[in-house]
Amino acid sequence: MDLLWQTAVNATYAASYMALIAVGLVMIFGVMGVINFAHGELYMLGAYCVVFLYAQENFPFLLAVAAGLVFVGLVGIVMERTMFRPLRDNPLGGLIASIGFLLILQTLVVFGFGRRMGHVPPSTQGKTEIFGAILTHQRLFVIVAAILLLAALWAFLKRSKFGRALRACAQDAEAASLQGISLNQTARMAMFIGAGLAGVAGALTAPLVSPTPYIGHSIIVTAFIIIIVGGVGSLEGAVIAAVLYAFVHTFVTTFFDGVIANIVGLALMLAVLIVRPTGLFGARERA
Amino acid sequence: MSRKSLERKISRRKFLGTTAASGAALTALGTGLSRVSFADGHTIKIGFLAPLTGPVAAWGKPGLDGCLIWADWVNAKGGVNIGGQSYNIEFVGYDNEYDAAKARTGATKLIKEDGVKFIMMLGGDTWPGVQKIAEREGMLFSTLLPSDLSPDSTTLLAPCEVHPIYNVTGVEWLAENKPDLKTAVMCAQDDSLGKPSVATYLAAFEAAGIEMQDEPLFFDPATTDFAPVMTKLLAGNPDILCLDTCYADYVHPLCEQAFQQGYKGQIISCTADFYQKIIEKTSAEFMEGFIFQFPDFDDPALNSEGVNFVNPNEFYAEYAKRYGASEWSAVSWEYASIMDLWADAASQAGSAEPAAVLEAMKADGTGKHAFGTADWWGTELFGIDNALVGNWPVVVIEGGKATIKDFRSIPAWWDKHKDLMIKHMTALGQMWNQRG
Repeated sequence: MDLLWQTAVNATYAASYMALIAVGLVMIFGVMGVINFAHGELYMLGAYCVVFLYAQENFPFLLAVAAGLVFVGLVGIVMERTMFRPLRDNPLGGLIASIGFLLILQTLVVFGFGRRMGHVPPSTQGKTEIFGAILTHQRLFVIVAAILLLAALWAFLKRSKFGRALRACAQDAEAASLQGISLNQTARMAMFIGAGLAGVAGALTAPLVSPTPYIGHSIIVTAFIIIIVGGVGSLEGAVIAAVLYAFVHTFVTTFFDGVIANIVGLALMLAVLIVRPTGLFGARERA
Repeated sequence: MSRKSLERKISRRKFLGTTAASGAALTALGTGLSRVSFADGHTIKIGFLAPLTGPVAAWGKPGLDGCLIWADWVNAKGGVNIGGQSYNIEFVGYDNEYDAAKARTGATKLIKEDGVKFIMMLGGDTWPGVQKIAEREGMLFSTLLPSDLSPDSTTLLAPCEVHPIYNVTGVEWLAENKPDLKTAVMCAQDDSLGKPSVATYLAAFEAAGIEMQDEPLFFDPATTDFAPVMTKLLAGNPDILCLDTCYADYVHPLCEQAFQQGYKGQIISCTADFYQKIIEKTSAEFMEGFIFQFPDFDDPALNSEGVNFVNPNEFYAEYAKRYGASEWSAVSWEYASIMDLWADAASQAGSAEPAAVLEAMKADGTGKHAFGTADWWGTELFGIDNALVGNWPVVVIEGGKATIKDFRSIPAWWDKHKDLMIKHMTALGQMWNQRG
């Protein structure tokens, strides 16, 4: 029974950071129509904010995490202004530009921090026992932060003027523009939020992984599986698919092994594509 | 945001297609090259073809760093005397990123463009990319992983590290010194480095009368969250947690997870690179007694008679001065020790040509291995006697510091238990005649 609870706790943690990353990716795709291949590197950049500010410069951990969110969000704005806006009418161009940008980010981090894994000591070694399962406070931070941030995003999109503008642009950019909504401003906002979510996920998990300049590769693959399962463009789908994927992957890893878990994760994606080609929460393509 | 509101601009089909195409393109692109070369002159060039970036870089880059110290010391003394002429040594580095295709490109470049006389590699997944070139060009190569050896590759040597065979010495020492520990679990990344090491540990545990609680757990090398892996490993409260030959990027989070999930038993691992950082993430008490196979070279035991590595303590001090003590890794000294063997052989042969050096190196069937005189060995396991095998140290963390506890003979273990080793290597498809 302890094993089941421990696995459930592990899966909850995995679902939390995966949801943050996937929702950020969906946000960028939904509003701007760009497949941002550099999203994994935005996660990596957030992790290195913590490597620098917390592990090297001894700033408080939460301050470093907040800085990671803001800094990576600002990097997102730079990406929007310099790459995605000039290529707005060419979604494939944006995708290719993002691939170039991810290589630039990797190289910059290698120059700044070296090629080897960054070392981030835990901000706390506290732990809580839940039905015999151990949940470290470091992991609890990630779970709590993910819930708070996703709830805040939901409230922002549903209740605020800017949120409504984002939704309008995502629904029909031309109609939104005719209503006086600035496409540039909404794109900037979407990029800040999407990149910031990836950055904060990286920052929060930095003490729990071994950050390297290349960690984004495995992250982006998982994120794409999740948004395809959830339905490309659906925020709700991204969250639910993150939970589904995390639980399936974690339980299969624990009760079989990690290699089989990857196969099952991909099989899940294929099954969803066969049964429901638009993903769990995706809408049918319009003619 | 409504569920369908975000679906525009790119169709789903186009999204899936372009994502797949871009993924493939990204994989092919890689992450760039890193090269180290030094001024030309009256010199002999040596190729260093190893991962200098990526998750396996900890077993490449520190080795190149150690070679730079070796070259500075040798060149400062006038270089290597070959046929009455002194030659300085230059290393030409090529980052293969632990990728077979990049290794092939690197080997071609080192041989054709740089004119190197000898190429040192980490080996493993990268060797298949180079094998044909080695056979065609007759270039002398070295690997740290003798599981790369086969009768088809007569110019490939494993003159220093006999991974993973030396892991038997750690288990043998553990069984003798902690006989009450009777059950073990093991995990490894699912690759050509992890599997032969798993077979070796299985043989060593069986020889020592230690029971495996479960099948070895293989995880994907792309794993970043090790909590589920550790949860499964610890489910049966094992006496011994074996981390096999996991890369440093995995050993650290695995140890951290074991600590966080309350494990209090014995840990044994092939390596514990940058172990001071593991202690920072866990505790000195948790890491006390951790057994592995790679000493810090400031260990006084390395000054004992029979150890052939030149000035090990001074080498470590210089390494720590240049790069920091915490940057010392399992391979920091290994490639340099291979260069000692190469330089001796080239001097004896009076030539730096690969065939002449190879013949001189294996002339009497023995060689001056870093940890003592050893035999060229391996026909039964690798199909060819191209591995230099003798003693290997057993290292234990005591008071936060790696300490050599003993030097153990690998051939002596082999003579007693070779059937077990062959059985487990065969079961995992790791014998030389089973590898594709």
